[in-house]
Amino acid sequence: MEIVVENLVQAFGEAPNTILALDRVSHRFPAERVSCILGPSGCGKSTMVQIIGGIEPWTDGEVTIADSDGATLPLGSQSVMVWQNLNLFPWRTVIDNVAFGLEMRGAARKERNERASAMIASVGLRGFEQHRPMQLSGGMRQRVALARALIMERPILLMDEPFAALDAQTKIVMQEDLIRIYERSKKTILFVTHAIDEAILLGDEIVVMTARPGRIKDVIAVNLPRPRTQEMVSTPEFGRLYDRVLHLIREEVLRAMREQEQAAS
Amino acid sequence: MQQPVKKRRRSVSFLYAALPYIIIIAVLLAWELLVRLNGIQPIYLPAPSSIFRYLVAMLLDGSLLYNLGITFMRILGGFIVASVCGILVGVLMGMSELAARIIDPWIAALYPLPKISLIPLLIIWLGTGESYKIVISAVTAFFPVAISTFAAIRQVDSGLIKAAKDLGASSHQRQIKVVIPASIPGIFSGLHLGMGVTIIMVVAAEMIGGSSDSGMGYLLVHSGQVMETEKVFAALIALAVFGALITNAQKRLDRLLAPWADTKH
Repeated sequence: MEIVVENLVQAFGEAPNTILALDRVSHRFPAERVSCILGPSGCGKSTMVQIIGGIEPWTDGEVTIADSDGATLPLGSQSVMVWQNLNLFPWRTVIDNVAFGLEMRGAARKERNERASAMIASVGLRGFEQHRPMQLSGGMRQRVALARALIMERPILLMDEPFAALDAQTKIVMQEDLIRIYERSKKTILFVTHAIDEAILLGDEIVVMTARPGRIKDVIAVNLPRPRTQEMVSTPEFGRLYDRVLHLIREEVLRAMREQEQAAS
Repeated sequence: MQQPVKKRRRSVSFLYAALPYIIIIAVLLAWELLVRLNGIQPIYLPAPSSIFRYLVAMLLDGSLLYNLGITFMRILGGFIVASVCGILVGVLMGMSELAARIIDPWIAALYPLPKISLIPLLIIWLGTGESYKIVISAVTAFFPVAISTFAAIRQVDSGLIKAAKDLGASSHQRQIKVVIPASIPGIFSGLHLGMGVTIIMVVAAEMIGGSSDSGMGYLLVHSGQVMETEKVFAALIALAVFGALITNAQKRLDRLLAPWADTKH
């Protein structure tokens, strides 16, 4: 599944006090690749992913999802989201959270429990089916959210800073899990992050966005071999990419800070 | 939550735990001494020991439990009517913009009205029987229940609703499977407020205008009129314990029905 965004504009608020979140963003996210979207906070990267997921309406521009034959498919029908704050249903047990999508589709309880149990086992949470989210650690909750998305079997996975709240060690494990999932399923993944090393480690390309209003500043191809491993972090190629992205991001953050200072004075 | 093990300072922690009870006993002792040493007439302030004797006597002759039981039934009646109506109206307002627009001015106008001022009108319409006591307490408790339910539904985390939509829930499914369960903690806190005012209004209604020959309100007024101050105190103590028991039972019920909701009342 390829995602094509053309001249996407997102403006919030009533005229004349509109805030421009996305300003004529155009990009072709390649099929079956991991695209990391990187930018300073408030650059509209989450907004873009939610628009692509068919969750938010937008102001202007075109968003299309096309399969390998070039046929256009409705937004939201091919993708599933993993949210920054997870959005697990606190009143549901792990298995009922994971089975939520199947339940909405009208799957019988027996069928959805079987599939959800298998999915829970595949993310390493066997034995926690009857726990509630608040009884789990951050990393375990993250796995529940991932399982709840993966069970939908959608070709596009949209991930909005999913690992931002995790501690460093858990984050490494989750990144490795995601790499494994990608190698196994070859989904089209859009991964929003503000961590440069994470973007390089996971992505086939890094879409660097500008501070508000969000535009695409640059797209950097990551040609590290797959499957990726954490050891690649210490290779010279990784270091070169890191410097390049850091330079772009620093420019943007400084510009955003200057603008804020000007607005304040 | 596990408490850290403390080994040495057991005597200190025992004192810490016992302190509130020690202070209660000290206050009771001081009260007893104050009455005895100054020869205060029991009509004005009976000693704790004689209140206790009356309390035991009233328990043994059954008058206390009889009146408590009657009051409890009235509270239950008013509370159930208020809960059912309040939750229905609150849910209706929360789910339908139109219903909220129509009902909101009524609630805004009637909520600040002290419900106790409706007593003369209700006595004219309903007489001083059971229906009057249930109606006055139900009318009073209806408002906090309806308002809390409405607020709970309105304040459901929009992230949960978006996540459900992303997982394929129709708008009807989102209401039933997300909005309602997510607002249960808020509805419960409305029921707690409702129970509080129901107890107040039932006892108040029992006290007014010789409207009753049973119930704790009657027992209080009657004992006061014949200057049996010990009975007044005994009835107050019984009511306080009774109120605490009801609140406690309600909290337990909350935890049983909604174990995910870490309710902090």
